[in-house]
Amino acid sequence: MPTPTLTQSIVITLIQCLLVVIFVFVVVPLTVFAERKVLGYLQQRLGSTRIASGHVGLSGYLNKSMWKWGRIPVISYWRGIPGLLADVLKLILKEDVIPAKADKFVFFIAPALSMVAAVVVFAAVSFVPGVFFTFPKWFPYLGGLPVSGGIADINVGLLWILGVASVGVYGIVLAGWASNSKYPLLGGLRSAAQMVSYEVPLAISLLAPVVLSGSLNFGEMAARMATGLPFWGLVPQILGFLIYLTCGFAETNRLPFDMPEAENELVAGFHTEYSGMKFGFFYLAEYINMTVVAALASGFFLGGPWLLPFGLQGLVNPFLPAFLSWFGEPHAIFFVAKIIFLLFTYIWVRGTIPRYRYDQVMSVAWKYLIPMALFNLLVAAAVRCFAV
Amino acid sequence: MEHFIQMIGRNMFAIFGAMALGGAAFMVASRTAVHSVLGFLFAMLCIAGCFLSLEAEFLGMAQILVYAGGIVVLFLFVVMLVEMSKKKEKEVFQLQSRYAIVAVLLGAAAFLGVFRKVLFGAASPEALVLRPELAQGLNVASQNAQAVSRGLFADYLLPFEILSVILLVALVGAVVLAKTERV
Repeated sequence: MPTPTLTQSIVITLIQCLLVVIFVFVVVPLTVFAERKVLGYLQQRLGSTRIASGHVGLSGYLNKSMWKWGRIPVISYWRGIPGLLADVLKLILKEDVIPAKADKFVFFIAPALSMVAAVVVFAAVSFVPGVFFTFPKWFPYLGGLPVSGGIADINVGLLWILGVASVGVYGIVLAGWASNSKYPLLGGLRSAAQMVSYEVPLAISLLAPVVLSGSLNFGEMAARMATGLPFWGLVPQILGFLIYLTCGFAETNRLPFDMPEAENELVAGFHTEYSGMKFGFFYLAEYINMTVVAALASGFFLGGPWLLPFGLQGLVNPFLPAFLSWFGEPHAIFFVAKIIFLLFTYIWVRGTIPRYRYDQVMSVAWKYLIPMALFNLLVAAAVRCFAV
Repeated sequence: MEHFIQMIGRNMFAIFGAMALGGAAFMVASRTAVHSVLGFLFAMLCIAGCFLSLEAEFLGMAQILVYAGGIVVLFLFVVMLVEMSKKKEKEVFQLQSRYAIVAVLLGAAAFLGVFRKVLFGAASPEALVLRPELAQGLNVASQNAQAVSRGLFADYLLPFEILSVILLVALVGAVVLAKTERV
């Protein structure tokens, strides 16, 4: 296998970045659409159906006859997809209003900050161990070169992820301050307090995989958590996964923890004064953050690119028959499927659990989640000490 | 092209250092306190870049996590909520400028005194390792998280724990100060 020169490796890295951006920009609009539809079906309505190809042709006929049979038509699962395009057009073309008394520079930089902090986390995420694909020989300039499954599989990947995620708080706080208005300021302060508090149990719950796997590298951690643990390794993972998921909901400001955007108290929270594509950046950043949290959860707890969650893969693998051997090997498809399932869980929870009160949010973090996460870390250390 | 990229790679430290200085200058020069905090944040991120260019990955990430993610957020909180009108702000800055010059000169003299040997003396022949027998079998360049943790939890455990007691004292002191108003 040829080794790439410096320029070639930079070009390959740029291609990887492009692939990640494409992945994000395919998953995010579909999540937005799924949120409308799934939430609709959870509340016994149809979700967005207005913008569609019309009641003509075969699909229109099927639709009408299924209504006549007294069933919700299958077609209506997909109706409303063109509405996504309309949404994007609206965000781009809408007038960009800046309040007269706002701090122009900070008002401008805040959405960019939260967007960049959300995307850059993917640098340390490895989608599949080893080589993702190899360029064919005829490809100009890059023929025969391998493309690895992660952009930068650095030694301290977990710290990079946590550090950049903590920088994401600035976007929200600065947006709240720069708008020079009451509700955004209150929303920004609330969300900063909430995110800083929930970072503590989040980091502690991620320490259990670090202790169990003995590494800070994303790919290595995923591999060891999926295949290299004894039976007792399951116990700290399941509790840790639930704690992590709860903190992840709070970190991304989603229901039941969406204090910064509590409509009945704060209008729209920190982005009340934003419009046009600046608002679009916050919107995108929220959904990209959801994808990031889902990617980390599936990498550290659900077995990453392996099929089975919670380290079961390593227990099952020795008993696999030969014709099922692909079942024990990592695929990027498994990883993406787990991310999509967790994104569905976000919507599911949003449709199920009502919003907490603000003081309840704080007491959940400090009084319950942190002691539980510490106990889980203790269990993980015991497993590491006696069983691994 | 190849040559140009290699040159950038070799001078990464200087680039990040210059950017950090630029951020620090912006922090001092800007008249709005929140802009100053933004400049400070930029400088901190660039210093993390400096650490990365020296292959000290762990220190770089700790820099982002602790300074950019923790301490500067607290600064921002305080600065955001302390509202100063433009005129008052200017008066405060003008009052301070005389003392600031003295403080800067003193700081520069102390800094130069400490780093005189580094700046003007001959480079030392080998890297400084405090207890080489503990670092055996450890590739410090690629495993510096492990190297730092071995230093903290094996070599210097007692000083590390004493430092954490000092932090605890500060914490308890803050609680006591905040409580006295209510009693």
